[in-house]
Amino acid sequence: MKSFKTSFYIFIATIAFILPSCEDVITVDVINKKPKIVVDAFVNNTTDTQTIKLTRSIGYFDSTGSEPTITNAQVAVVDQSASLPKLFLFNHTEKGKYQFVPNPITGDTFTIGHDYALLIVIGTDTLVSFSTLNPTTKIDSINLVDVVGNGPPINTTGKYVELFANDRKGQGDFYWIKTFRNDSFQNSINQLNISADMGNTSNGQDGQLFIYPVRYNGVNDFSRSYKTGETVSIEIHSINVLAFAWFNLVVSENQNGGLFATPPANIFTNVISLNPAKKPAIGGFFCMSAVTSASVTIP
Amino acid sequence: MQRIILLLILLSTSIVNAQNITLSGYVKDSSTRETITKAQIIVIPTDQSSKIKDGKSPTEFRASTNGYGFYSITIPTGIHNITIVAPSYTPYTKTINAVETQEINFFIDAEIEGVGTVIIRSKRNNNVKSLDISTQSINGQTIKKIPAFLGEADVIKSIQLLPGVTTVGEGASGFNVRGGSIDQNLVLMDEAPVFNSAHLFGFFSIFNPDAVKDVELVKGGIPANYGGRLSSTLDVKSRDGNKRAFQANGGVGTIFSRLTLEGPLARPESKKIKQLLKPRSTPAKSSFMISGRRSYIDVLAKPFLPDNLAGSQFYFYDLTAKANYSYKRDNIFISTYIGDDVFKAAGLFGVKWGNSTITTRWNHVFNKRLFSNFTYYYSRYRYNLEFTNRDATFNWKSNIVNNSAKVDFNYFYNPKNTVSFGAQTTHYRFIPGEAVAKSNTLNLKFGLPDRYAFENAVYISDDWNANGRFSIRAGIRVSQFIYLGPGKVYLFNREPGKQGKLDSMYSTQKGEVVANYIYPEPRLGFKYQLNNSSSIKGGYNRMVQNLHLISNTAASVPFDVWQPTTNNIKPEIADQIAIGYFKNFNGKQQFEASFETYYKKLQNQVDYIDGASLLLNELLEADLLSGIGRAYGVEAYVKKSSGNLTGWISYTLSRSERQVVGINDGEWYANRFDRLHNLYIVSQYKLNNKWEFAANFVYSTGTPATFYTGQYSVQGYVVPDAGSNARNNVRNPDYHRLDLSVTYTKKKTKKFESNWVFSCYNVYNRRNPFSIYFATNFENKGQNEAIRYSVIGSAIPSVSYNFKF
Repeated sequence: MKSFKTSFYIFIATIAFILPSCEDVITVDVINKKPKIVVDAFVNNTTDTQTIKLTRSIGYFDSTGSEPTITNAQVAVVDQSASLPKLFLFNHTEKGKYQFVPNPITGDTFTIGHDYALLIVIGTDTLVSFSTLNPTTKIDSINLVDVVGNGPPINTTGKYVELFANDRKGQGDFYWIKTFRNDSFQNSINQLNISADMGNTSNGQDGQLFIYPVRYNGVNDFSRSYKTGETVSIEIHSINVLAFAWFNLVVSENQNGGLFATPPANIFTNVISLNPAKKPAIGGFFCMSAVTSASVTIP
Repeated sequence: MQRIILLLILLSTSIVNAQNITLSGYVKDSSTRETITKAQIIVIPTDQSSKIKDGKSPTEFRASTNGYGFYSITIPTGIHNITIVAPSYTPYTKTINAVETQEINFFIDAEIEGVGTVIIRSKRNNNVKSLDISTQSINGQTIKKIPAFLGEADVIKSIQLLPGVTTVGEGASGFNVRGGSIDQNLVLMDEAPVFNSAHLFGFFSIFNPDAVKDVELVKGGIPANYGGRLSSTLDVKSRDGNKRAFQANGGVGTIFSRLTLEGPLARPESKKIKQLLKPRSTPAKSSFMISGRRSYIDVLAKPFLPDNLAGSQFYFYDLTAKANYSYKRDNIFISTYIGDDVFKAAGLFGVKWGNSTITTRWNHVFNKRLFSNFTYYYSRYRYNLEFTNRDATFNWKSNIVNNSAKVDFNYFYNPKNTVSFGAQTTHYRFIPGEAVAKSNTLNLKFGLPDRYAFENAVYISDDWNANGRFSIRAGIRVSQFIYLGPGKVYLFNREPGKQGKLDSMYSTQKGEVVANYIYPEPRLGFKYQLNNSSSIKGGYNRMVQNLHLISNTAASVPFDVWQPTTNNIKPEIADQIAIGYFKNFNGKQQFEASFETYYKKLQNQVDYIDGASLLLNELLEADLLSGIGRAYGVEAYVKKSSGNLTGWISYTLSRSERQVVGINDGEWYANRFDRLHNLYIVSQYKLNNKWEFAANFVYSTGTPATFYTGQYSVQGYVVPDAGSNARNNVRNPDYHRLDLSVTYTKKKTKKFESNWVFSCYNVYNRRNPFSIYFATNFENKGQNEAIRYSVIGSAIPSVSYNFKF
């Protein structure tokens, strides 16, 4: 009996050693054989300066922000629905940024419902892409919610917001909902907030309030509640089915890591090359959006 | 005339003298009366003994017991020395005067391990003389001697120390044989297939070593009675139970405790309580064995858990039970296995998975030469996955159920030929998923339609001993797989290497045949005896596999889906040739050595388009790709089986690759479990009756992993890029590890015996990578990092206590 007791104590001691798994960062060499031309072209119907950025992809372990820029390109967006096709020229300003300043007085803005084409010429390569500027939906209000954080997913007690907006009537609306905290865009991949109609296409529901994960989870960072005096702005950008799929892949590939990672997959692009002989590798996306926005200041 | 008559009489007597008789029966353990499988019966006529004196090899007759301990051997009449050898048993010798065909049961003694006694653990040249190639058996005794993780002897972990067997790493379910994936091993528990052999994500196997009689792994030259998987057969047989006395054994370990009870099922010979535990003078006709294990981390951890995890459960258990009854020429066995793993964090998520099997078998000896076995089994593998958060729950259940009937015959036709034949039919029901997602606003049911299939097979095989030196095993198995209704059938337009586009789909009626595949599977083995202690053996086998484990993650998870062959998924096929040289050194110290090489060609290997979604995907088949594979290597193995120092050294040089249109630019790439070098050293040293030491050393080349090659950013989001879709483009660091253990045996008495096992796993703190994976460090400007994940990052000491009475 005594030996059983002693052995029991030993078990307790040894349990402390069970599965002492560990993780550490190591160096691995991967080769990015053919850098891709990267087109970042999300253009909207606001009067803000519109930017299209051209860069080249970098190695997976290179530090972000070190992408080589493409500065010698010619970039334009063409309104194909206008009675005479209208050309919007984007001029290079700096570091691969090509910009266009809309002018509502001269009518140089992008119009809801029109079809647009993107044209890029880089040396001998001509790249094109197409997108329709879909209508978006209006924001009714941004409400404040006081929440007690008691473990995942809400870790921090404090003020959070809830977006009140209805999906547009009719199926086939897609949205990208961007949240800004004091004018800084919350671009964490975990907060990438996209919605197909109300948020769930499989049950055919339509035209009502966005579902909870879209109107609540997607507009808050539950590890950081909002503080008094901060402003929260929310923009709803209309996108299309292709952009919705593209964003979904960006999320899933970004979250693909860890032990149960699946083999990396390439994310498609809607930008194609017109050069039949030598196709350059291309990444990125072109999407025209309509935008509505609202903001609140936390009392 | 008289002369002629005399001559005739002489002739006729000489004919009589040369007549053959047949001995048949069972080989059993003398004390427990448990049958012994794979025991060698070696008959040497006494008139050959002069040859032995002259150093020549005598004429001898050999037979071995089958999976039920039955043997049949045809020998000339006369006076013979019969020797019976079996691993962990003392060699048994008897001189008999064989005059007529008869049934003889042999009772042999378990080896008593003492210092100084010569222990012959080898099967006395059996590896050289038997027809089996690429076959390894381990019995319960050996398994218990290998230093084990947390001191728990483990069947699969022991298998992983044999040549040609590898694993992806600690925490990986299953094992890989000669470059095959984990689902290409047919794991049988008393004839019934087991779909997941892992507890706790692979740290322990589901087989309780206390309940295991023996384990046989067949990697090549696979006989015709096995089929259905490409790479290997792991045949686990449970113990029958002591027929003479009650017996209990068990252990208290760090992770779990075990208890096994066994004994005769018969009216006691005496009513006196004291007599009950004494061995019966006549063994009972029937006996039972029941053996269970349960982990208790959860029980011990309960007081330390935070409130919000108070309702958490994490445990696993298994229960193996068996009963048998013998009457004259019949033996009936009923055995069952039930095991589950349960991991539930209250209010967050839960996973549960487990196998259960029931097998009933009836052995009937028709006559001295014809042995039969009828089997019916039921086997089920189920898993359950659930997530809960404040507003929603998700619950997914999946099952694979199969029922099978099977008959096997061993016909000991004449001294030169043993014929095995049989048939099997199996009905499968795949219940891939019933998932329910609930929240305040919605209640969604995802259901994938059930799938049904029949798998049938017939086989015949002959072991032909052409002369003393040359023998051949030739067989054929014909397998049929019928994919049946009711269900939904999908037809796709396919471009090579791309996701299939749904062309049409239709529903089928019950019993409607959707796809029917019939394949002949030839099997061949040969042995050429160079001399008494060395031989060359070779084998060829074709295997066909109709169940596919769908998994594209780095580590296999318990809820990976099993899919049948369908109209879209073709049966996997493997052709393997193996050839080997076997040599024994029979000096004072006995060594057995083998050197084998193999080449395997695989067809219709299942792979996945990049970004495939495998869970609850109705159109899963559209995401599957089909490719070819090849695996080749050499295996060297030396085993020392006598003396106080025993053990083996195994080295494997191997490669396992795949080529799939749509992956890696269509170029060959290494499989996830490809390891070039594998060195295993297993040793045990017996100092005296009290102290025994053991050490393992394992070295393997690192496994490959797939990484993104590039990245770019769009709208502030980082987009990882796979470039030209390279697969397995990065190698993990090498794996190596040393384990030690010390066993202290307290004084053994007849009534009670116990030991303490102190062990240390990963003695020198090696951080072996289970995987290196990619992750983005958001705290460091979104820098991507390669992270080495070691499941075990330090040395793990443990202690366990075992007893037997």
